[in-house]
Amino acid sequence: MDGIFKRILERLRAYRVPGYYEKFDHKWTMVVDLDRCNGCEACVTACYAENNIPVVGKEQINNSRQMSWIRIERYVDGEYPNVKVKFIPIMCQHCSKAPCETACPVYATYHNQDGLNVQVYNRCVGTFTCATYCPYDVRRFNWFTYKWDKPLDEQLTPDVTVREMGVMEKCTFCIQRIRAAKDRAKDEERTLKDGDVIPACAQSCPTGALSFGDLQDPNSMVSKLAKSPRRYRLLEELNTEPSVIYLKRIMDNGDESH
Amino acid sequence: MATNLTESGMEKMPYKEVNDDVVRTMTHSGKGYYIALALSISVAVLAWGLPWAYQIFTGQGVTGLHSPVYWGIYLANFIFWIGISHSGTLLSAILFITQTPWRRSIYRSAEAMTFFSVLTAAIFVFVHMGRPWNFYWTIPYPNQRQLWLNFQSPLMFDVFAISAYMTSSMIFLYFGSIPDLAAVRDRVTGWRKSLYTWLALGWRGTDAEWHWLSKAYTFFAVFIIPLAVSVHSIVSWDFALSKVPGLNKTIFAPYFVVGAIYSGSAGIVTLMVILRKTLKIEKYITLNHFDKLGILLLVMSLLWSYINFLEVFTGWYADTSFENESLIYRMLTPPFAYMFWLMIFTNTFMPLLLIFRKVRSSIIISLIISLGINVGMWIERYLIIVTSLPRKFLPYAWHDYFPSWVELSITVGSFAFFSMLFLLFVKFWPSLSIYEIKEDIGIPMQKEKGH
Amino acid sequence: MKRRDFLKFIGVGGAGAGLGFIFGRAQKPPGAKLIPYLIPPEDIIPGAASWYATLCTECGAGCGVLVKIMEERAKKIEGNPLHPVNKGGLCSRGQAALQALYNPDRIKGPLKRRGARGSADFVEVSWDEALDVLGQKLGELKKTGFAEKLWFLTAPLSGHRLKLLTTFMSAHSSPNLVQYELFQHRELAYANQTTMGIEEIPHYDIANTNYMLSFGADFSGTWLSPVNFSRGYGEMRQGRHRKNRGRLVQIEPRLSLTGANADEWVPVRPGSEAILALSIAYTMVERGYYRGGDASAWRSLLSSYRPSEAALATDISAEKIEELSKKFAGSKPALAIAGDGALSYTSGVSCAAAVNILNHLAGSIGVKGGMLINSGGLLGKERIDFKKGIGSLLDAANSSKVDALILYNTNPLYTTPKAANAKESLNKIPFIVSLSGFIDETTAMADLVLPAHHPLEDWGDGFASPSVGYPVTTVMQPMVSPVNNTRGFGDIFLALASKMGGGVKERLKSDSFEDYLKSGWKELYNRNRGLSAGTLGFEDFWKKMLANGGWWREAEPKRQAAVSLKGAKQMLPSRPAVFEGNEKEYPFYLVLYPHHGFGDGRHANLPWMQELPDPMTSVTWGSCLEVNPKTASGLGIKEGDFVEVESPFGSITLQAYLYPGIRPDMVAVAIGQGHTHFGRYAKDRGVNPIDILPYKEDPRTGSVALNSTRVKLVHMGTGEKLAKTEGVTRELGRNIVQTITSEEFKKMGKEVI
Repeated sequence: MDGIFKRILERLRAYRVPGYYEKFDHKWTMVVDLDRCNGCEACVTACYAENNIPVVGKEQINNSRQMSWIRIERYVDGEYPNVKVKFIPIMCQHCSKAPCETACPVYATYHNQDGLNVQVYNRCVGTFTCATYCPYDVRRFNWFTYKWDKPLDEQLTPDVTVREMGVMEKCTFCIQRIRAAKDRAKDEERTLKDGDVIPACAQSCPTGALSFGDLQDPNSMVSKLAKSPRRYRLLEELNTEPSVIYLKRIMDNGDESH
Repeated sequence: MATNLTESGMEKMPYKEVNDDVVRTMTHSGKGYYIALALSISVAVLAWGLPWAYQIFTGQGVTGLHSPVYWGIYLANFIFWIGISHSGTLLSAILFITQTPWRRSIYRSAEAMTFFSVLTAAIFVFVHMGRPWNFYWTIPYPNQRQLWLNFQSPLMFDVFAISAYMTSSMIFLYFGSIPDLAAVRDRVTGWRKSLYTWLALGWRGTDAEWHWLSKAYTFFAVFIIPLAVSVHSIVSWDFALSKVPGLNKTIFAPYFVVGAIYSGSAGIVTLMVILRKTLKIEKYITLNHFDKLGILLLVMSLLWSYINFLEVFTGWYADTSFENESLIYRMLTPPFAYMFWLMIFTNTFMPLLLIFRKVRSSIIISLIISLGINVGMWIERYLIIVTSLPRKFLPYAWHDYFPSWVELSITVGSFAFFSMLFLLFVKFWPSLSIYEIKEDIGIPMQKEKGH
Repeated sequence: MKRRDFLKFIGVGGAGAGLGFIFGRAQKPPGAKLIPYLIPPEDIIPGAASWYATLCTECGAGCGVLVKIMEERAKKIEGNPLHPVNKGGLCSRGQAALQALYNPDRIKGPLKRRGARGSADFVEVSWDEALDVLGQKLGELKKTGFAEKLWFLTAPLSGHRLKLLTTFMSAHSSPNLVQYELFQHRELAYANQTTMGIEEIPHYDIANTNYMLSFGADFSGTWLSPVNFSRGYGEMRQGRHRKNRGRLVQIEPRLSLTGANADEWVPVRPGSEAILALSIAYTMVERGYYRGGDASAWRSLLSSYRPSEAALATDISAEKIEELSKKFAGSKPALAIAGDGALSYTSGVSCAAAVNILNHLAGSIGVKGGMLINSGGLLGKERIDFKKGIGSLLDAANSSKVDALILYNTNPLYTTPKAANAKESLNKIPFIVSLSGFIDETTAMADLVLPAHHPLEDWGDGFASPSVGYPVTTVMQPMVSPVNNTRGFGDIFLALASKMGGGVKERLKSDSFEDYLKSGWKELYNRNRGLSAGTLGFEDFWKKMLANGGWWREAEPKRQAAVSLKGAKQMLPSRPAVFEGNEKEYPFYLVLYPHHGFGDGRHANLPWMQELPDPMTSVTWGSCLEVNPKTASGLGIKEGDFVEVESPFGSITLQAYLYPGIRPDMVAVAIGQGHTHFGRYAKDRGVNPIDILPYKEDPRTGSVALNSTRVKLVHMGTGEKLAKTEGVTRELGRNIVQTITSEEFKKMGKEVI
C-alpha cells in the first residue's frame, strides 16, 4: 500500500518540474563575467549572422520589435559627473524551472535532456504566452515574414531554419553547433570535451566575457567559474533556476547592490 | 383584494396575451430593426472581418504589440466578453436555485447574452494567435507523430473550460427554451412553423415532459454555476500563473469572477433597457425588475470595489520595486491614470447612487450607471494587461503600448458582431421565457373585466 | 574552435582553398545557378562547411579571420584563434563584412559616366573598354610629360598591395600617392617620430598593465585595434595569469564606451587633454616619482604645467591631478594612451607627445604592461607621408595640378568638411576614376568606375599596425568566387600595366595578382630564411601560410626607445585647442566621435550596423545629438526633439538624446550617418556632422581637426520618438547588474581555475 502511494507521489513530482529528467546528458551553461564585458555588442552581430536573424528597420525598432536574441542592457547610475554605467548581456537564460515551458499549450517550447530550453518553430501557433511569462523578455516574435534584399540572403546559413511569421524564437545556445559537435564526437567515437561547443556570441567576444560549457563536466571552464564567489544569477529570487551565471562586476562608488 | 401584480411585480395578464406578445416580437419587425441589423452586419464584416483577413495575411505585426507587451487589447476584449458571459449564468442558474421570482422575464435574454458573448470571446482567441490556421493543434486530436498537449498550460485549461462552458450554456439555453419554441411553433405559419417544429423537438407539454425538463434544467443550473466560476478563474490564471508583477496574484481568480458577474449584471441592465423599449415589452420588464437589478449591481459593486482595493493594497503593501512601478504606471501615469480614475468613478462611486430607491427605479439613471459600469469594467480588463506588461522585471526592456487601427477596428467589430448575433436572436428565438412568465402570473384567474 | 580541430580542417581547407578557387575561376560562378548539387565539385560537400583564413579589412587593425564557406557562399566570419592580434575574437564590424560582400547596392561591373558629373548617372561597359579608356588616359599623361599629374588617393594599404601600387606609380613617374582616411593616426605617428624617433605605433600591452590613463581612447569600440585591446582589457580585469585587477582611468570630455567601463571618468575640458597630461607629468617629476637623472631638465621643460595653473585650463582640480600622478607613478607597470578623442583637435598632436612623455617618466616604454615598440613590417618601413594629406590633393586640384585622379576605398567628399570645398576641387579634375565597390559620395563624381573585388574575394596581405610586439603578416585570399563582375585590386593594375606597355609593363610582369603576391613572398622567404618556419620549402611554407592565415613568429620585442628631451621640446609648448566661434554666440563645444558600427561612415550601408543599437544611447537607424540633461532642460529640449546645431560654417538638424555622460558645456554627434549616396541603407539617414566643421589642416601631420568648432543650439520644437531599443535605464533597486567593491574583491580572492 505504501509502495503504491510512493510511486504515485513520485509520478506527481515528476510532472511538477517541467522537463524533469532522471539524468541530464549535458547541462549547458553560460558564464558571463560582467567585469570583462565592455558592452561592445560583437556578440549581438555574431548572433545575427549565425542564426539568420532578420533586420527589421527603423519603424519596427521604434515599436520595440528588434529581433536580437542577445542584447546588451545598459543601466546608468548617478548624474553628471558621477555617472556610472553598467552593461549586462542578456540572452535566453535556459531556466531549469522556466515559466515559459509550462505556458505553451502545444509544447512548442520544452526542456530537453541537454538542459536547454528548446523552441520548436514548426509547432508554435503563436499564443504569446511564453513571451508574456518570460521575466527576462528574451523571446522574440516574428511579426511579419521578414525578407532579405537579394543577395543578402546568400549569407543565410542552412543549418538554422528561417522563421515565418507567427512563430516565436529566442536564443538556443546555438543548438546547431551543439548538434554538430555531438555528431563530430560520435564520428570520432569519443565524448564531448570542453571547448568542442562554443556559441557564436562567446566565440566572437573580444574580451572573453562569455564562457560556455557543460556544467556536468568537472573539468570544464564553466564548472570552475561557476564556483566563483562573485557568482549570481539574474532575478534569482524568482526561482527560475537559470543556466546563465553572471559574475559580479567590480565597481567602486557605484550603487552597491549585492 | 388579490393584487394584480405577480410575484415579480408584473401586472397579471392572460396567458394568451403573453403568448401573443412574445410571438409578436418574433414575427413583426419595424424598419428600425432592419437598419440596426444591416448596420451591425456591415460593421462586423468591415471592422472585424476585413482587418482580420489583412492581419492573417500580413502577420501580427499590424497590431501595436511588441516586446514586452505581447498581449494587448485582444486579450482585454477576450476577458471582457468572457466576463459579460457570466450574466446568464448568474441570472439563469444562481437566481434559479434561489428561486428569485423577478428573474423570470429576463433570464432568457441573459442566457442568450452568455452564449453570444462566449462566442465573441472565442473570436479573440483566434484573432490573437500568431498562426491561427494551426489553431486545431490546441485540440488533442489523434495523430501519428506522438503529439501531445501541455495540460499544465493555463491556455490548455482555457480551451477545455471555454468549450465546456460554451456547450453547456448552449444546451442550457436550448433546453430551457423548448416549451417556448413549442409555444411559438403552435402560433406561427409558413417557414417559421417548420423551423420551430424542428427546433421544438416534438414537445407536447405532457406532465412527464415537464417533469424531466425541470429535472434537466435544475441539473444544468447546478452544474453550470461551478463551471462558470471555473471558467473565469481559469481565464484569470492565464495571467496569475505568470511571474509578471501586477499579474502574479492569488486574488485574481475571485477578482475576475466577481468582476465578471458585475459586468454581466451591468450588461443585463443595459440590454434590458434597450430591449423593453425596442420590443415594446415594458409590461414584462418592469420598474421592479430594475429595482432588483439595481440592488444586485450595488452588491456586486461593493464586492468588486473591495477586491479591487485589495489588489492595489497588496501591491502597495509588498513594496517591491516591481509592484510599485506597475501601480505607479497604472494609477499615476497619463493616459492610464485618467482611465483608472474614471473606472473608479464609474464602478465604485456612481453605483453608490443605487442605494436610493428612486435612483434604482429610474430607467434612465439605471442605463447610465450600467453603461458606465460596462465601460469601467472594460477599462479594468485593459488596464490589467496593458499596465503590467510594459513594466516587467528589466527596466531596459520597458516599452509603452498603444493599440493599432487593426486592433481598435476589431474591437469595434466585436461589439457589432455581438449586436448582430443578439439582433438575430431576438427575431429567431423567444427572447422572453413564456412559460416562466406564466408561472409567475400563476394559475389563470377569472377575468375581472372583459378585454 | 580549438586549435587542433582547426588544423585538422586545414587538411581539407588548405588544398581546398586552391582547388576551389581554381574551379571557381574556371567555370561560371555556381552560385549564379539555382540547380542543387547533383554532382558537386570535388571539394564541396553540400551541407558541410569549410573554413578558410583571411584578413579582415573592416578597419585598419588587421585582425585575422576564418570564413565559413558552404556551397561556395560565405556564411559566417569568426576570429582566427591562431592570429596574435585578435586571438579568435572579432568585433561586430568584422562580422558585418558579409553584408558588404552580398550587399544589394554593390556596383555590378565597370561603369562609365553618362550624365552630368556628380549625378551618378552611369552606363555599364565592359572591362576591356574601361581598361582601354584608363590606359589611354594614363598613356597620354605620360606622353605629354605630365605624368605627375596623376594622383592616387587610397585608403591606407600595406603589404604587397601597397608595393604594387607604389611600383605602378613610380613606373608611371608620379610621386602623388596619397594614403588617406579620416582616422589615420597621423598624430600618433608624428608624435612618436618626433619624441622617440620611431614612427611605428607601439603595442599597448593592456593585458599586463596595472594602471591605465586613457586620454580619449575608446579602445573597446573604435580606436586603433579594438579587438586586440578588448582582449587585453579582459585580461587586465580578470586574466587568469594575473594576481590583481588592473585599473582604468578614462580622461575625456564625453563618456565613451571605454569610459563606461573605466573605474573612473575624468571629464576634462575639450582640447585640454594635453595640458592635463603634461601637468601629471610635471607632478611626477616635481614630487620625485620620476627618479631619472635628467629629472631637473624635465622639470624645467614642464614648468609651465603646474597643477594649480593647469586646473583652470582643464577644469580638473589640482588635487585630482596630484592623485592621478601619484597613482600612475605608483602602480608599475602603468600605461598611458592617447586616442582619437584626445588627438582630434588643432593641437591634438601635442597630446600624443605628452602621453609619450608620461610613459617615459613612468618607465613604461619597452616593458611588459607598458608600451612595447614594434619593429617595422617585413617589407620594410611603411611610413606615413605627413606632407601628403587630403589637403595636398585638394590644393593640387585647385591649382590645376591634377589631371587624373584614381580613388580606392576613400570618400573625401564625406569625410571632409563642407568648408574644404572638396567637391569644387574635385570638379576641377578632368578625369576621375574610382575603384570602389559602392557608389558613395565621391564615386558619384567619377567618370569611370572599375569596381575592385570585395576583400573577401581578393588576394592580398596586410601587416598589422599596431602589431603585438613582433611582426604579424596576414594573408588575404579569396573566400568565394566573385559575386559581381568585379576584378581584383591588384589584377586591375596588372591588366592596366599590360595594356599600357612600356616601362610600366616591365615593372609589373606578373599575370595575376596571386602570382605577384606569391613571388613577392618568395622573395621575402628567401631574404628571411632564418625566420621561416623550420626547414619548409617555399611551397609548403606558402600553403601553411594560407592555412594559418598569415605568418608570425612569437618573439619578445627587443626594440627599445625613449622620449628624448629634445624631441619633447619640439612638441611643446602645448596650447589649448582652438575652437572656431566665439563663446558668447556659440556657447557649446562640438565634439565628434566615430560611430561604433560605422567607423568613419564606411559601414553605414550595412543593415546589421544600422540596426545595431549604439552602445551608449541605443539609437538605431539615425543620428542623435548627445546633450547633457541639465543643459537640455535649461533650453527646454526633451528627448527626440529636433535641435538645430549651428556652427560658423553650417548647420545640421537632428534629434536630441539626453546623455548624462557629457559635460554641460558641450554636445556630441557621432560620425557615420548623413550619406547622400552609398546605397539604400545609408542614403538620407541622419546627419553628417563633419559638414559643419572648419577646414583646418595641421601642417605638421596633414590631418584635419574634428573637434574644432563651437556651436549654438536652436530648439526646433517637439520631435518624434527616437528609434532606440532602451526602455528605462535605471535599475530601480532591482539588483540586475550586481557589483562589489574592489576591497571586497580583494578579500574574496579570485576564481580557482
